[in-house]
Amino acid sequence: MKQATKGLLLGVISAAMAATLLMSTPAFAQKKKPGGGTGAAPAPPTPPAPAGAGGSDIEIDDPNTPKAPTDPAGGTTPPAGGTDPAAGGTGGAGATGGAGGICEIDPSACPKGGDIKAAAGKDVAAEVYAVQQIYALRYHRFELMPYWALTLNDQFVNHPGPGLGANFYITNVLAVGISGTFYQGLNADSDFNFQNRRATRVAVPLNEYQYNANLNVSYVPIYGKFAGFSDFIFHYDLYTVAGLGILSTRPIPVIDPDNRNFAFEAKLAFNAGLGLRIFFNRWFAADLEIRDYIYNEKLESLTLAPTQAQQQDKGTWFGESKITNNVQAQLGVSVFLPFSWEYRLPK
Amino acid sequence: MQTRQTRFFSGALLRVSAAAAVLGATAYATPAAAQEIQITGPLAGAPAVRKERLHRDGRFELAPQFAFSLLDEYRQTHALGTTLHYNIKDYLSVGVFGFFALFNPTTDLTDQIDKVANRNSRTAPNVNHKGTGTGADPFTNGSFADQTTKISFFAGPQAQFAPFRGKIALFQKLFVDTDLYIHGGIAFVGLQERGDCGGGGSQKSCTDPDSFKLQGRTAITGTGGLGLSFYTNKGIGFRAEYRALPFSWNRPGFDSRGAGTDGKFPNLQATGTAVVDGKDQTFKWNQFVTIGVVVAFPWETKISE
Repeated sequence: MKQATKGLLLGVISAAMAATLLMSTPAFAQKKKPGGGTGAAPAPPTPPAPAGAGGSDIEIDDPNTPKAPTDPAGGTTPPAGGTDPAAGGTGGAGATGGAGGICEIDPSACPKGGDIKAAAGKDVAAEVYAVQQIYALRYHRFELMPYWALTLNDQFVNHPGPGLGANFYITNVLAVGISGTFYQGLNADSDFNFQNRRATRVAVPLNEYQYNANLNVSYVPIYGKFAGFSDFIFHYDLYTVAGLGILSTRPIPVIDPDNRNFAFEAKLAFNAGLGLRIFFNRWFAADLEIRDYIYNEKLESLTLAPTQAQQQDKGTWFGESKITNNVQAQLGVSVFLPFSWEYRLPK
Repeated sequence: MQTRQTRFFSGALLRVSAAAAVLGATAYATPAAAQEIQITGPLAGAPAVRKERLHRDGRFELAPQFAFSLLDEYRQTHALGTTLHYNIKDYLSVGVFGFFALFNPTTDLTDQIDKVANRNSRTAPNVNHKGTGTGADPFTNGSFADQTTKISFFAGPQAQFAPFRGKIALFQKLFVDTDLYIHGGIAFVGLQERGDCGGGGSQKSCTDPDSFKLQGRTAITGTGGLGLSFYTNKGIGFRAEYRALPFSWNRPGFDSRGAGTDGKFPNLQATGTAVVDGKDQTFKWNQFVTIGVVVAFPWETKISE
């Protein structure tokens, strides 16, 4: 009992220290490399778009985009001749260069003087993030993760079951949460166990699960986006998760099923895993997670006591204990709450 | 003691869960915020991707890989092989794959059966042994591992479909072009499996020690899976892949089916004479993970508009 308590305390302290360390890590901005910075061959400079050339592609951050004189009045009045796409003018003089050309692209999105003043009045985070335009923000949001679990490493008994996870993101990349899986009634003893027992007269001790419940810490070190058919883009992240909890299991009696009837018993279980989350919109995502639950399993005794009275004694039913890994795939979805949020700064 | 321990953990879990819920409810009131610009307007019609490095389009790809099997009952398969593909489009390729087993290690179950299974008249048709079981020549231990089926190769034609393409950033330092692909095709699987016995004619009795010898067979099945390619430069990358090879085979070499209702009972139980044949093959969703490198040629990649 003491050892178990110490283990629990150590686990909680370790998790808290890890969380503190991670939270105190400053964000670093990535230096912009010339020519793209990702190993690509430097692209040739894009020639400036000819004035009045309607329908040309627009690069928001293209340094070669012609700069237009700034409206001294704050850019609230788009000058004539070049801001109306319908008129065929995208590069004409007089665009509000202070707004990065957005007034040229979409006059309705052009910031008003009042907007800029209000934005300037807000508190500014000192850090500059390498990734400014995060599609699906996690910071201070809840995540509900219903999933279905499948066993990956037990060829003797499958342990499928429904589960639910709930996380709260303390930062955009660090979350604390709980999760649980329900297995009872769904454990599937593989046919080959029986065929093997019948053919060889050798029995393999088997165990089934009832449920697990866990406290977790999640960290998202990798996020990015994929292009599908070069036509649409979806965002994803890869996350790690670790925690501790309980896993309730019991042996399936195969050595002496006439006398042995095991009850479920909770064991301390540590877990660690890796997950992939693919966002369909800003609050809904699909999840694939591989998680390993490590616990000390108690197996059925392979020997029978000499007398019936002894055989019915529960003290003779258990054999050796083994550190066991239950590796499971968890397929599910994520729902982030609240569904929408307010960005602090325009950029 | 166990009950108290269970109560302790259950109670601790409840308390910590309640604390987390309170913390979460408090934090929920704080509005989420970030630094981002939301671009609206005519860019909605702009191309999603521009100047994309097309690592596949019009190129051949040779991908030497190491494959290992998952969730094996009696014997694993560790194989070395390769795929060779030509990419008709950046998202579609056709080619071949071929893997040959380097070694087939036994599982712990096989080793335990070898150690503890009794060799007697009841197990004689199913567990390898020596001797005839007569007084002068009693049953003695043979190698159970020697009767378990080995996968010796799997090969065939296949197609790859790579609809998803992007980059992975590791700690915002290392960027790798990545694609996610699915593959499917036809597989020819070479097996070393226990031969038929007990069926009469020239077949040996299943209690004959010689009946446990393995014979070659080729199973034909479909194959499929998905994988990730990581292109570290123009011509060389890494690849990790999942492959399923579902088919029926008699993995331990037992007489386990073929008689009784729906043929689900062993011949030995139904008729008193063991028969090992094709009816003893059971379906298994065989799974492999492969990891390796991919070399593409010609060296230069195309760039999309």
